[in-house]
Amino acid sequence: MEFLLELLTEELPASHIRSALDQLEAGFRKELTAARIEVVSLRTLATPRRLVVAGDFAAGQEDREEVVTGPPLAIAKGPDGALTPAGKGFARSQGVDENLLEAIRTPRGEYLGFKRKAKGAPAAEILKDAVPRVLGALSFPKMMRWAESPFRFSRPIHGLLCVFGGTPVETSFEGFMATDETVGHRIASPGAIKARRFAEYSSELEKSFVVVDPEARKRTILTQIEDALAPLKAKVYPDPELLDDLTLNVEHPLVVFGGFPETYLSLPLEVLSTAMRAGQKLFSVVRDKKQLPHFLGVADAIADGKGLIRKGNERVLRARLEDARFFWDQDRKVSLKERAAGLKNVVFQEKLGSYEDKALRLKKIVSYLCDKLKAADIKAETIEAAGLCKADLLTEMVKEFSGLQGRMGGLYAKQEGFPAAVHQAIYEHYQPGSLEDASPASLAGAVLSIADKMDSIVGVLGVGIPVSGSSDPFGLRRNAHGVCKVILDRKLRFSFPLLLDKVLAVYGDRLTVECGAVKAACLEFFGGRLRFILEKRGSRYDLVAAALGPGLDQIYDVLPRVEALDSLKSSPQFEPFILMAKRINNILKGLSAAKVNSDLFVEKEERDLYSTFAIIRDNAQPMIARGDYVRAQGIYFKIQPVLNTFFDKVLVMAEEKKVRQNRLGLLQSINKMLLEIADYSQVVVEGEKPAKPKAPR
Amino acid sequence: MSVQDLILNLHRFWAEQGCYLAQTYDLEVGAGTMTPDTFFRVLDKRPWRVGYVQPSRRPDDGRYGENPNRVQKHFQYQVIMKPSPVDIQDVYVRSLRSLGVALDDHDLRFDEDNWESPTIGAWGVGWQVLLDGLEITQFTYFQQCGGVDLSPVPVEITYGLERLEMFLEQKDDIYDLDWSADVTYRDLRFREEKEFSEYNFSVASVGMLRQAFGACQKEAARLIEKNLLLPAYDMCLKCSHNFNLLDSRGAISVTERVKLISQIRALVNDIARRYTTAKEGA
Repeated sequence: MEFLLELLTEELPASHIRSALDQLEAGFRKELTAARIEVVSLRTLATPRRLVVAGDFAAGQEDREEVVTGPPLAIAKGPDGALTPAGKGFARSQGVDENLLEAIRTPRGEYLGFKRKAKGAPAAEILKDAVPRVLGALSFPKMMRWAESPFRFSRPIHGLLCVFGGTPVETSFEGFMATDETVGHRIASPGAIKARRFAEYSSELEKSFVVVDPEARKRTILTQIEDALAPLKAKVYPDPELLDDLTLNVEHPLVVFGGFPETYLSLPLEVLSTAMRAGQKLFSVVRDKKQLPHFLGVADAIADGKGLIRKGNERVLRARLEDARFFWDQDRKVSLKERAAGLKNVVFQEKLGSYEDKALRLKKIVSYLCDKLKAADIKAETIEAAGLCKADLLTEMVKEFSGLQGRMGGLYAKQEGFPAAVHQAIYEHYQPGSLEDASPASLAGAVLSIADKMDSIVGVLGVGIPVSGSSDPFGLRRNAHGVCKVILDRKLRFSFPLLLDKVLAVYGDRLTVECGAVKAACLEFFGGRLRFILEKRGSRYDLVAAALGPGLDQIYDVLPRVEALDSLKSSPQFEPFILMAKRINNILKGLSAAKVNSDLFVEKEERDLYSTFAIIRDNAQPMIARGDYVRAQGIYFKIQPVLNTFFDKVLVMAEEKKVRQNRLGLLQSINKMLLEIADYSQVVVEGEKPAKPKAPR
Repeated sequence: MSVQDLILNLHRFWAEQGCYLAQTYDLEVGAGTMTPDTFFRVLDKRPWRVGYVQPSRRPDDGRYGENPNRVQKHFQYQVIMKPSPVDIQDVYVRSLRSLGVALDDHDLRFDEDNWESPTIGAWGVGWQVLLDGLEITQFTYFQQCGGVDLSPVPVEITYGLERLEMFLEQKDDIYDLDWSADVTYRDLRFREEKEFSEYNFSVASVGMLRQAFGACQKEAARLIEKNLLLPAYDMCLKCSHNFNLLDSRGAISVTERVKLISQIRALVNDIARRYTTAKEGA
């Protein structure tokens, strides 16, 4: 039977709508499954004022057989098989005929009991309680109270429409009785509407200028954009996030096409699009990658016959662009170098000093990184960029549009005639802003980006501000993701622990936490972030854990290590190899280190194993050194049959201590070699119970 | 419609909604929210409806009279309705229609915007109201003021009068607005903007302002001890304005900024706490 629910509210933020729809879908599915009501279909829709659930559910619970157990059989029946008073009492209390009683077998023994048919409850009854429970459980990142009630929600609620099988459900939520009524568009048609079926609901709303399906609204927006741009042969600058938000900001979309004076085209593209997007949620229009003096907005209106909506938006945009041009002109009157001097008054973090202090540190860190990466050709430029990269925090433009930080500095540096490596590094040093964002295109940008982020991570952890749960005030996770992404994207190979030592040394005595502890915290933090990144890329969690086993000496190497495991995991040699590695691991667990002495070998098989091991190690080492883990892993496989024979023929735990220690020493050497590629004991193979990994964040 | 007519219209409209029409408060404030007619009246349980015009001083926004949109002093029309009426959005929409805005020809949007004023420990949830992309009103369900949870919840509607008037007169330059039939905004305000911008950015004595900030802060603390909460609050408003002037003189670093704001907030929160405790005790 058809179910329809609409919670009518005041305008909800787009992010709240998205989260509420997920919660509604999950909530109803959970309630109905628990109540044994079959869900044939269930979907959610929304406008800024409506959260809607539409579904097709079974009319009621299925009838089912229920087993009722009473006292244990030994108590309920005498030796003669007749009911004892306890047995009779049970029958009486349940109102069941004594003839229907039978022995019920349970894991705890036999009991007196009976079976009965339980009539399924109608779904409407279930929904009566489920609806307020699901709605009441909705939570939002920021909630509010209104009027005189202590109840909290995203925005005030105005009504509840809830019908099942064409009849209003007898329920209520926060004082709103469920009805079969709602209202139309706030401005165009605010009157009441009655609806008992989804088809009716959707068509009545449409007549009242509300398109309830977000996908339909999105299609309308896209079609209207295309129509508006066709004569210009231009394209909208793609911005899926903005499109999604606008779709949830309007009940009746109307695309408005407008323009601005061409003189503003002298502003950088970044500034134009930010002024349009950040302030007014407008799309930019481009042709052949060039900005045109036009914009597209999405209004919540029926038509713009008089062009008033267009003119209004044009006027507002013009004022914004005028401001932006003022900032652009003013900012360029002061050179970045002069501006950078002011950074001593801008606090980076209370204990970590000013942005001037940070810039000084960055110079030292990029200098170190350029040496390690053998990038002498860009060293001077990268150091120069490090000194200037934060200066744009003091420009009017960045004060107005904070999202332009970094990029603005780069643009101003270019205007001042700095070399490309310098202005590009400044421009790119906040990149990547997320795992989806692009890494810096230039090496200088990549180096400065890593330095900036490492400085923040080491500094913030070093003054004892931890990252936990939802608390990450300095965005350290995002920073760590940025560092890893740059390293992985550009295949940068350098010792990560030594970089940590360098950053710690540059901080000197500013940090309040002891250096060893900060370093350990950083390594653990990065281990966690890498696990998250690699699993997100689609690698199996146990392979990721194995690849992380050898540690983070080279962050980049974790990737080819996990790729090697990934590419070889279905080879026939893989599973026996893993089992063998685990066997070694188990034998060696908790033992202290021992040495191998080839003179102490007794059996042929251990001599064979030792020489095979030596050959494999010598062959694999150069491959590992250059990061060719697939081939190294292939060679490692060869030790497995030899080891097998060894285990078959040789008793590791020999009576004589010297011989035993020597054999354990051999296994330890092998284990150490294996650990150069992965901690194979983490890999889960067929027939083993997977050890559930910690939930990644 | 002139600015003057706009004010008269809003007065009439909100008086009909049961608002008492307050007179402009006689101290410099950054927003209508900061005057006692809002600050103290939202704290207690008593239902309250008020409407008033309040000049809002934001020294940093001065542009020497050269920018057609930004001024260091503008006028707000402030409405408080406590408890927030169920149909307050509709009432607000009607207020726009009463000003002659033919909403069917326009795009009216309630766009997520959560307001806060750290200086007076206040925040709320709501929207900026956009008319064809122009922000004309801040619409807020007040949740906390002076660090005190508000109950009943007041709704605050703050119209930006110049913005709204520019829309009504379809003008691009604030100085071209008509204040009345024969007085323009330029006549009234241009010289003031020029001179105050000069003062705010270049001339105001940093030493004097720092001294005044400290003196008012001390005085506020002394008055709180004597339970003279309204005069103490006036002192906090003076602190806040002195702070804004110091800021526009570029005399405040980022750290100091946070510190000074939290100092004012501590005093204001103390006042709010004492005010509500005394009320409840009475």
